[in-house]
Amino acid sequence: MDPTIQINQQVDIVPIFRAHAPELTVCVPWKMKYGIHEIIFTKFGMRHPTAKGKRMIHVFDMSDGVNDYRIEFDAERLIWTLVSMVEGM
Amino acid sequence: MNNLNKEKAMIMHIDLNSAFATTEQQAHPSLRGKPMGVTNRISKECCVIAASYEAKYLGIKVGMRRSEAMAICPTFILLETDPPKYHVVYQKLMKIMRSYSPKTKMKSIDEGIIDFHGLEPVLNGRTLEDIGYEIKQRVKDEIGDWMRINIGIGTNRFLAKQAAGWHKPDGLDTLDHTNLYAYYKEMKLTDLNGIADRNEARLNAFGITTPMEFLNADEFKLKKQVFKSINGTYWYRRLRGYEIDDYETNLGMVGRQWVVKDPSDKDSYLQPCLSFLCETTGMKLRYREVEARGICVWVTYQNGEYWKGKRMHKTTFYTNQEIYRRALELFNQRPHGIVRTMGIYCYELTPSSRSQLSMFEDVVKKDWLTKAVDEINDFYGTFTVYAGTSLEGKKIIKQKIPFGGTEYFELLLKTA
Repeated sequence: MDPTIQINQQVDIVPIFRAHAPELTVCVPWKMKYGIHEIIFTKFGMRHPTAKGKRMIHVFDMSDGVNDYRIEFDAERLIWTLVSMVEGM
Repeated sequence: MNNLNKEKAMIMHIDLNSAFATTEQQAHPSLRGKPMGVTNRISKECCVIAASYEAKYLGIKVGMRRSEAMAICPTFILLETDPPKYHVVYQKLMKIMRSYSPKTKMKSIDEGIIDFHGLEPVLNGRTLEDIGYEIKQRVKDEIGDWMRINIGIGTNRFLAKQAAGWHKPDGLDTLDHTNLYAYYKEMKLTDLNGIADRNEARLNAFGITTPMEFLNADEFKLKKQVFKSINGTYWYRRLRGYEIDDYETNLGMVGRQWVVKDPSDKDSYLQPCLSFLCETTGMKLRYREVEARGICVWVTYQNGEYWKGKRMHKTTFYTNQEIYRRALELFNQRPHGIVRTMGIYCYELTPSSRSQLSMFEDVVKKDWLTKAVDEINDFYGTFTVYAGTSLEGKKIIKQKIPFGGTEYFELLLKTA
C-alpha cells in the first residue's frame, strides 16, 4: 500500500546554509513549523530540482528520524510547501 | 583453445541496483531496509516496475501484479514513480562516468558503459578495479549513501554486462580469458544476456544446454544451423570476448502505446485517449526533429485478438492535428470489440524540413500554430495548451518512465 499522505500546505522553514558542506547538503531545511508542530530534521534524504514551466522548484526529501517529508521550495515565489509525508512504521 | 580474446579488459559496465526502488529508499529513509516497490500508477491490478532488494529476497519480482506482491508480503509498500528524482540520479551517474572517459554511453536510465580503450596513460597505473571502487564511493558521496551499484569489467560490452550481474547487489567483477571458463561453468544458458526462452529452446534443439557447450559449438554450426543467420557468428565472437555490440542504431519509428485503464469498446472513451497518444507522438517527432510519412494504429482486444491498420502517405507530417486525423481514419476501421491495449507509431522518418518556405498559406498557418503552441508549452510546462479532443484523454493517461532508451527523458520531465 502507498503510505504517502498528501498535505500541500505552505509551511515555515528554517533552512541551514553550510559554507563547507558537500554539494548535496550546502542548503537544507533544518526546522519546520507545521500547524502546532515543530519538526527538526535529522536526516537528509535527497534534493532534486524540478520545473513548473520555467519556475525552478527545489524538492527536498527530509526525515525527522521517524517520518519522511517532501518539501518544495519555489525559487521564484520564495515559498516552502510541505507536499506530502510518509509515516514511519 | 577456443580462441578467447586475450586483450586487457577495458570496458566497464555500471548498473544501478534496483534503480527506482533504491532511489525512493534514498529519498525516504523510513523505507530503507523494507520490502517496497515502485509502479507507474497505483491501481488495483498495477504492476511492480521496480522492487527493492528486500522485496526481491522475499520473491517479489519486477512485472508482478500488486495483488500477487501483497499476497507474498502483506506489508509491501508501493509508491508511484517520480521521474524528476530519477533524472537527477541519472544525470549525476552520467557526470561521474564522464569524468573518467569521453567514451561513455548510457544504455538506459540505470545502466551505462565506460570505454577505457586508449586511456591507459591517464589511468596512472591504476587498475579498472581501483577505478570501479572509486566510482562506487563517489556514487555514495555524490548521489546518496543508500545508492549501490554493480560494476562489471570485460573485454567487450557483453562480458562487462555479464560481470556486472555476477554478484548482485553491490558487486564488482572482471571477466576475461583467465576466468571465463569458470564463469560459464557456473551459469545457465538463460543467465546470458540475450538468451531467453526462445533462444534457449533453439540451442537445446542442437544439443547445446549449457554456456560451456555454447562456447564450444563451432561457428559454422551456430551460423548455419542454430541461428541460421549472421547472429550465429555474432554469438560465437561475443562469447569469446570480442566486441561486436559497439554500434549506433538509427531512429526507425516514434510512437506511444497505452494499456487501457478500463478496457472498453466505446469511442467516446477511446478517441480522446487516442488523441492524447497522438499529441505525445507529435511532441516526440518534433523533439527528434523528424517528420513521418507512415502511420500505424494497433489495438489488442480483451479476447486476445490483435488488429493493426497502417498507411503510407505521399507527404510528410509532424503536427498533432495531422497525426490525429490520420490515426483516427485508421482507428475507425478497427473491428468492434473491447480494447485492452492501443498504440500508435509513425515510421518512414525523414529529417525535418520545417525551415523551408511553403507556397500554400494554409500549410504555413498550421506550422505557425504548432510552433506557437510548442513555445507556450515550453515556457509554461507541457500540456499548458493542447487539443480539446485530448481533454479527457489527458485526465486518464499518465506519463510513463522510459525503461529502454533515455532519448525522451528531457521531454518527459517537462510533463512530470
